[in-house]
Amino acid sequence: MLALELVAQGLVQGSIYALIALGLTLVYGLLRILHVAHAALFTLGAYVGVMVYNATGNLPLAFALAMVVAGLAGVATFRLAYQPILSQPPFVALIASIGLYIAAEETFRVVFGASGLSFATPPLQGQVALFGGIQFKTAELMVMLGTALIIAALGWLQTRTRVGVACQATVSDPQMAESFGISLRKVRDINFFVGSALAGFAGVWVALLNNLVEPTMGSVPSYKALAIIVLGGLGSVRGTLAAALVLGVVEAFGTIYLGKLLDRNAIAFAFLILVLMLRPQGLFATR
Amino acid sequence: MKQLPRRRPLTTLVAALGLSAAVALPAYAEIRIGLNVPLTGFAAVDGKSALEGAKLAVAQANAAGGVHGEKLELVIYDDQAAPKEAVPIATKLVAKDEVVGAVSGSYSGPTRAAAGIFQRAKVPYVVAYAVHPEITLAGDYMFRVASMGEVQGRAGARLVADLGKKKVGLITVKSDFGQALAAGFKEAAPKFGLDIVGEYEYALQDRQFGAVVSTIKAAKPEIIYASGYYFTAGPLVAQLRAAGVTAPIIGQEGYDSEKFIEIAGDAAEGTLVTTSLDRDSESPATKVFLADYRKATGAGADMVAASTYAATRVLIEGLEKSGGKGGEALKSAIAAGTFDTPIGRLSFNDLHEVRKDIQVQVVRDKTFRRHSVISDPVLLAPPGRPAS
Repeated sequence: MLALELVAQGLVQGSIYALIALGLTLVYGLLRILHVAHAALFTLGAYVGVMVYNATGNLPLAFALAMVVAGLAGVATFRLAYQPILSQPPFVALIASIGLYIAAEETFRVVFGASGLSFATPPLQGQVALFGGIQFKTAELMVMLGTALIIAALGWLQTRTRVGVACQATVSDPQMAESFGISLRKVRDINFFVGSALAGFAGVWVALLNNLVEPTMGSVPSYKALAIIVLGGLGSVRGTLAAALVLGVVEAFGTIYLGKLLDRNAIAFAFLILVLMLRPQGLFATR
Repeated sequence: MKQLPRRRPLTTLVAALGLSAAVALPAYAEIRIGLNVPLTGFAAVDGKSALEGAKLAVAQANAAGGVHGEKLELVIYDDQAAPKEAVPIATKLVAKDEVVGAVSGSYSGPTRAAAGIFQRAKVPYVVAYAVHPEITLAGDYMFRVASMGEVQGRAGARLVADLGKKKVGLITVKSDFGQALAAGFKEAAPKFGLDIVGEYEYALQDRQFGAVVSTIKAAKPEIIYASGYYFTAGPLVAQLRAAGVTAPIIGQEGYDSEKFIEIAGDAAEGTLVTTSLDRDSESPATKVFLADYRKATGAGADMVAASTYAATRVLIEGLEKSGGKGGEALKSAIAAGTFDTPIGRLSFNDLHEVRKDIQVQVVRDKTFRRHSVISDPVLLAPPGRPAS
């Protein structure tokens, strides 16, 4: 019974991780960049979501704008920060990315204040009772459904549309894809837009779950999402999804049964070390 | 020939940065008192409250004619709640600004770092709300107006008993303060026949408590003693209530901010907080403070503002007794004094830890109101100076 509740809570947390890590995986698959600044777009999405909702009271609009703003900011990040250094070794982009994240965090602090923002009247706070007496906040249930839906939609787009196939082709062989008339630049833009929009989407959910948006809210996800994509086998979308959900559940149990020994935020890394020792290619890598 | 790069812009920038740290540079001051507060960085919210509290105390004293006819000047530095910032600030206050005494309106980290410097210079340092035990152990020029974590923890156990509850769920934030609260609570629990049915810890960065909430719900406590700060307690209390946990929740000073009520929303209603400021106090010191603070800032005072105001008042009243002199005379005046402040009537023990009542506030209609007062000098006795 309690175990079931912990699994459910783990899946809620895992859904958030999945949304954030997915964008990171897309970028890594395409450009081999460890995009730490991705977490800043998660924070940006959360701020936009809260401000739009407080101004209009329209939650779908808040989600849409958060995703668009985060998506565009992601494209801008790519064009201004990463594109000029693509020919450099990967650590150059990693350092740029870390710097970018720190700068973004401070910018949020200066622009929106250090104490953070909250919804004036937070939506989706009702309770839903499921079978077996498991009780969810409406927002918790919706985040799982929303994540499942958006990921299913992405999967469909990737395999059934021209743009999606072009993206896949670019990931597996950029030169060949280009010679078939696929615009690399366009594919990269789309990738950054979609990945960053997902992070913005996650940001609004976290704002709904906690009713608190702070400048530093991306700092834990920024490194935890890196652990997740490594667990998932770097660049594998399915692996990332599975790793995010597994980590969410492992953390839920770990918080309760290992809490005294190990910080919740250390569990991800202990788990990572363990997996890398036993399965260096990642939990779900096929190669 | 290649020219060397010009250095001037950089030096100007560095100088400007240095200057911006000193907000108030008096032309020439009769009596100067120092203040370190976090005005930027993660603790800036508390820093703002602390600054307003200290400024109000000084402004009131000056409006009443100063100390023995001499005006007071508050010398303010931003320590960003960082120990590495606090050391040069304390040195500057002592050596350059030549303050007679100083107030810490900051957290434990920077306050600990500054304590040794003030002690060596024999400058009395009154600490508003930093609770780390090491601070007063730095020496006899240190004073603290906040109750230590373990004292507040004991008060929490007493409150549980006063409410007629026995089965307690304990949720502890992994910080020095959280550990000290839990230690105090557990020390006093057997005395009141309390039974701790579940004990969980969380990290300062955590905002989602799903797993802890589910588990505590299964343990079915009659009451929950949860430590934290407004930014963790707000989400925690909201999530406990959203999961259908109806047991009363007891928090502490860290909850004592209007931001807590804003984040937790309706879920905050009924939350009990052991703290130092009683908004419904009949004491003139508190009423004047609350009214003047609202007039000066347009906002309601919180625990941090009241504590920093009280710390500054202690220093000013000490100066009145010492005839405006610092050093030994000021230290003795403070150590021997009793002070009526918005956080109650204060006096200090041999370690210069405060003796005072603990205020219990409850959230009603989105504001903190009086619930009760815990007045038990034996239970709430702060630790004394260890025999050396």
